[in-house]
Amino acid sequence: MIPEYLLRAFLASIMVSVLLGMLSPLINTKGLAFLTHALFHSLLFGAVLGMILALIFENLSLVMLTALFVTLVVVLLIAYLEKRGFSPDSAVGIVASFAAGLTVLGFGVLYNVMAGRPYFPLSEDIVSYLTGDIFLITLSNLEALSIGGAVLFFIILVLYRDFLYLSFDPDGMESYGGNTTAYLMILYTIVGAIGALIVQTVGLITLQVVAVLPGAIALMVSSDLRKVLGMSLLVTLGVQLSSVALAYFTNIPPSGLATIMLGLIYGTLLLRR
Amino acid sequence: MEAITAENLTILYNGKPALGGVSFSIEKGETLLLLGPNGAGKTSLLKTVSCFHREYTGKLEVFGKNPCEAREFIGYVPQSHSLNERVPLTALEVVAMGAVYRRGFVHFKIPPETMRRAEEALEFVGLDGLGERLFSQFSGGQKQKILLARALISDPKLLLLDEPLSSLDPSARAEVARILSKIKSRKGLTMVITTHDINPLLDIGDRVMLINRRLIAFGKPEDVLTDDVVKSVYGPLARVIPVGGKLFCITGDVHLYRHGGGGK
Repeated sequence: MIPEYLLRAFLASIMVSVLLGMLSPLINTKGLAFLTHALFHSLLFGAVLGMILALIFENLSLVMLTALFVTLVVVLLIAYLEKRGFSPDSAVGIVASFAAGLTVLGFGVLYNVMAGRPYFPLSEDIVSYLTGDIFLITLSNLEALSIGGAVLFFIILVLYRDFLYLSFDPDGMESYGGNTTAYLMILYTIVGAIGALIVQTVGLITLQVVAVLPGAIALMVSSDLRKVLGMSLLVTLGVQLSSVALAYFTNIPPSGLATIMLGLIYGTLLLRR
Repeated sequence: MEAITAENLTILYNGKPALGGVSFSIEKGETLLLLGPNGAGKTSLLKTVSCFHREYTGKLEVFGKNPCEAREFIGYVPQSHSLNERVPLTALEVVAMGAVYRRGFVHFKIPPETMRRAEEALEFVGLDGLGERLFSQFSGGQKQKILLARALISDPKLLLLDEPLSSLDPSARAEVARILSKIKSRKGLTMVITTHDINPLLDIGDRVMLINRRLIAFGKPEDVLTDDVVKSVYGPLARVIPVGGKLFCITGDVHLYRHGGGGK
């Protein structure tokens, strides 16, 4: 008999794999690896702000909602700066450093708030956000992941070709009538929303790796789009499921195992080139 | 009918002029060769005409309209090396890009009619049967042809080409020039072509414009391409040489080929 928490972890892994498997090649081709780094800072700031609000208003769901809101504001701000003519690196650098500063400030406030209130219910959330602990996923977390994930998956799927065109030649797309601003905003919103949705399973520390490496591995193996997508999905699914299984026996957080496995696969492919 | 009209056009970046006081006009069906050193303002002019850049003073009209209102008539062909070739798109998908944004926001599947037109456009540029190959697997000259096919499928009246011959070897330059000549003769499109090497394109050029942050000369090739004019733009070593009834413009980075040999 499989324990219920393990079953929830496997189901969450499948959802995470499907989302990241689809998104990761886009992150690589559009050059959004640095954006996922900014996502790390904004999610952390959002989570800290959410924890402060959760303690003040005694409502734990505010953590995830605030993290999602802050992340969307950050990625949309980055997209806006890009449209204003800033290079993607500059836009991310400006916003991410600002978010990082706010995070440090937020921790200071959080400690003060914690000093005056019982913060035990938040302890698990803090661990989940930092290292990601898929075994702590609750049924309501899983529901949110499934519903949100299905919506995001559908949007990525139907707009995939447009995102590829946006990555290939944004000027060309605009000159032929495509609304590059809208596509860019939607893509960045998806990246931010997926980050916020999966952060408790993957963890802030390893989020960038698991978002970038599956696509990088797939693009190293093939340049045919169908094969790239298939490979990315397969790598993410294999790594996520096996890391959960390994973590069950070793008590090491699965996000750490997944990151090491992805790093090993990527490194091996690099050495074999 | 005038395809492009500019009167005292000054292109600005953050309020500072990049190209100042330019006046010219070209007729429908004519080809303008835009010549000038790096930083002269060639791409700025192209981007302003195609409505990518909107900070300018003076008058600029494309087919009697503001450039942004005339965008549907314009096919813009960027330099092929400015594209992100890591994106796994086939030649057909790249060409179809020129047509799909005429309709709708979601393009999950390219309509069969668009695919058929994309195949025809590839055939026009001499790449029939290669549509399923990835864009990144083509040579520089072939990539330029695919981008030309992409522009053609959008049914433009005006083609703007940003250095279509750059980074190409001499035979690829001649091949792309041949396709441009075919576009001119078969489709009668108005074209503006920026280039560092004017020689392969002189056969199709009705007008030549030399700029260097301002208008140096504009007119018919035989009137504009004189030693004095090219020296004023490219320095004392530049010159114009007549060979076998044709003019060759030596600006420091040109190739003499396929025209009976080499200069003086």
